[in-house]
Amino acid sequence: MGKSSRRDVLKIALGGAGAAALPWRVPAQAAESKTITMLHESSFIKVFDEFFQKTLAPNYEKETGVKVIYEITSVGSLPARDSTVIETGSGADISMLALLYPFLYQDKLLDVSDIAEDMGKKQGGWYDVGKEAGMIDGKWKAIPYSNIGQLMNWRTDWFAEIGVKQFPDSWEDLYDVGKKLKAKDHPFGFELGHGFGDNHGWLYPLLWSYGGHEVEPDGKTVVIDSDETAKAVDFARKFFKDCMLDDVLSWTDVSNNKAWYAEQISCTNNAQSILWLAKRDFPDVAKVTDQALNPQGPKGRFHLMNSISHGIFSFSPQKEAAYDFLKWLMDEKQLGAWYASADSYYQPTLHGYDNAPMWDVEPRNKPYRDAMATAHLPGWPAPPGRQLAECVAKYVTIDMFAKACAGAATKDVIKEAEAQLKEIYKSA
Amino acid sequence: MTIRSEPLVGIARRPRRPFSLSAWADRGTVFSWLMMAPPILFILAFVGYPFCYGIFLSLESRPVAQPGTFVGLANFIKDAHDPVFWQVVRNTFVYTIIATLLKMIGGLGLALAMNQDFRFKNAIRALLLLPFIVPTVLSTVAFMWMLDPAFSVVNRLLFDLGVPKPGPSWLGNPYLAMFSIIMINTWRGLPFYGISLLAGLQTVPTELYEAATIDGASGWQRFRFVTLPLLKPIILIVTLFSVIFTFADFQLVYVLTHGGPQNATNLLATYAFDIGMGAGQLGLGASVALTMLPALALLIVGITLYLRKKT
Repeated sequence: MGKSSRRDVLKIALGGAGAAALPWRVPAQAAESKTITMLHESSFIKVFDEFFQKTLAPNYEKETGVKVIYEITSVGSLPARDSTVIETGSGADISMLALLYPFLYQDKLLDVSDIAEDMGKKQGGWYDVGKEAGMIDGKWKAIPYSNIGQLMNWRTDWFAEIGVKQFPDSWEDLYDVGKKLKAKDHPFGFELGHGFGDNHGWLYPLLWSYGGHEVEPDGKTVVIDSDETAKAVDFARKFFKDCMLDDVLSWTDVSNNKAWYAEQISCTNNAQSILWLAKRDFPDVAKVTDQALNPQGPKGRFHLMNSISHGIFSFSPQKEAAYDFLKWLMDEKQLGAWYASADSYYQPTLHGYDNAPMWDVEPRNKPYRDAMATAHLPGWPAPPGRQLAECVAKYVTIDMFAKACAGAATKDVIKEAEAQLKEIYKSA
Repeated sequence: MTIRSEPLVGIARRPRRPFSLSAWADRGTVFSWLMMAPPILFILAFVGYPFCYGIFLSLESRPVAQPGTFVGLANFIKDAHDPVFWQVVRNTFVYTIIATLLKMIGGLGLALAMNQDFRFKNAIRALLLLPFIVPTVLSTVAFMWMLDPAFSVVNRLLFDLGVPKPGPSWLGNPYLAMFSIIMINTWRGLPFYGISLLAGLQTVPTELYEAATIDGASGWQRFRFVTLPLLKPIILIVTLFSVIFTFADFQLVYVLTHGGPQNATNLLATYAFDIGMGAGQLGLGASVALTMLPALALLIVGITLYLRKKT
């Protein structure tokens, strides 16, 4: 290689390095502009995201001059995105927070008690489960937005074939129906694999309805090894064996929806998106789809709080602007319209919406509203936090049930779960 | 008598040339260091730093959004007491060893077949790369449909062959689920082996085959004593890469089963992700991920030493 070409290479390399250094100047400019970023997980109901992008954000910009960027992440990727934002201290000012994440991120979240108290006063008061989902040590660290309830979805036509016109009221009654329907080649399909929501959606309520819990409210004492848990596990085993498809053991959250639209299963546990999408794409299936509260067990009827809330990152350079925006967004005028854009897929955590017109759009969705009174976060009655998040992420309770359904002895699966929980709660 | 010292012409200092940046940069050692600096800096920044930070994290109790506390090896001890961790380690080894062996044998067969002369040879060689080119998430979703009980083309075929309904639960049965992910990984990784070994085959001088034929070697003997020894370094290098990719596989399992059923397909990468991101336990997640290091390091060192000895 000649001299001149070496120099050329160096010039190109230095030029490239200089060019690569240029974007470092950009954040300074961006910081001066009035722009805030709100991170949100992609909604199954597309019009919900569109309503924010096309109506709410432009309206706010028109009113205040502040531009709101609505950054969408794919389903399931929000925790990773949130972690990145928190660890780097940049990337978003407000974020949607699911399930237990307000408790994990509490040190980096702004106190939004003023907004929450004001909402409670003006919008009918909070459901207890709303407080459970957003309040930490007496302070609101996130504004609960909704539950994405997981309820029973059932085929009215196939249930009618065996003379059942109303959804069974207890787990045992549902078992009897399921056994008959499986014999008629219409099995049930309840997720027992490693999904994000449809597994927790029925297994936690089942455990609670038999009186079982993982950990005491003191957040330290592991109590999974109980007669109540054993009864719930025994029920799950026979429910799986006599009523369901074998494949549910590996199902993730999309699986039961596919099976529903393929008319392969007669009953499942899902969010109301299953009906919403059926009405759009499978009208014949939608006609014979109904929805019901979870069955009750010996200790009552329970539902999962599949919580969605919004929090402001305390490190945000725009936290005042983010606070003002969240306050505006949570005002009844905006909030009611945002809820309504998705029919009732997002069930409000405020009593002020109990009789809102959104519930009349599809009366079959009303059980999702009624479930709010008996809903709890996963791991209830243990206080939400680090240890509980680890139990959920490691699928301790889900796999306890799944192993029993796959054939393991009740005593063994409970002992294994207990050992895992004790190891996790050692640090509590 | 006056003695005057006259400057000696022979040892007179030459006038110093002015420093020239371009001349300095043109010196062989300087130029090569300048050329190497960007990749070295890149590797330090994007490989070295995350790696060292990962080790540092694994020694901390470090919940997301909270400052870390140094805990020494406590995370590793906690892993050792976690029965799921050991199941995940076992899964990762089974998955990597079987998939790598299948890819090695299949890839070698593929390379030998592709090294023959036949019509549309180039087009078929290009098509073979498809599984490697198609994004993993996309191909995994396709497999999800193929193994789905309602839509499974595999089960449909089995029914036609007389297997009674409902047929095997490919992802619901723990053993079949592991079998399925191994098969999909093999399908995806086969072209990498095939094309790399094909490139190696084409460097084998034809004279060697001619000489072996003249000496009376059979087809198997030509393969055993000519092809295989010459291909061995390439097989080892490709195996090294394949083991690294397979051992750290994430996408396939995350999309297809998310580690289910009952952790039967959970691998170190997916388990570490769930603990790190799902539970927000960055230190504990890093410790799970780092348990891959000793096995991979041993393999890398072993293969490197072997290759160095051979050359």
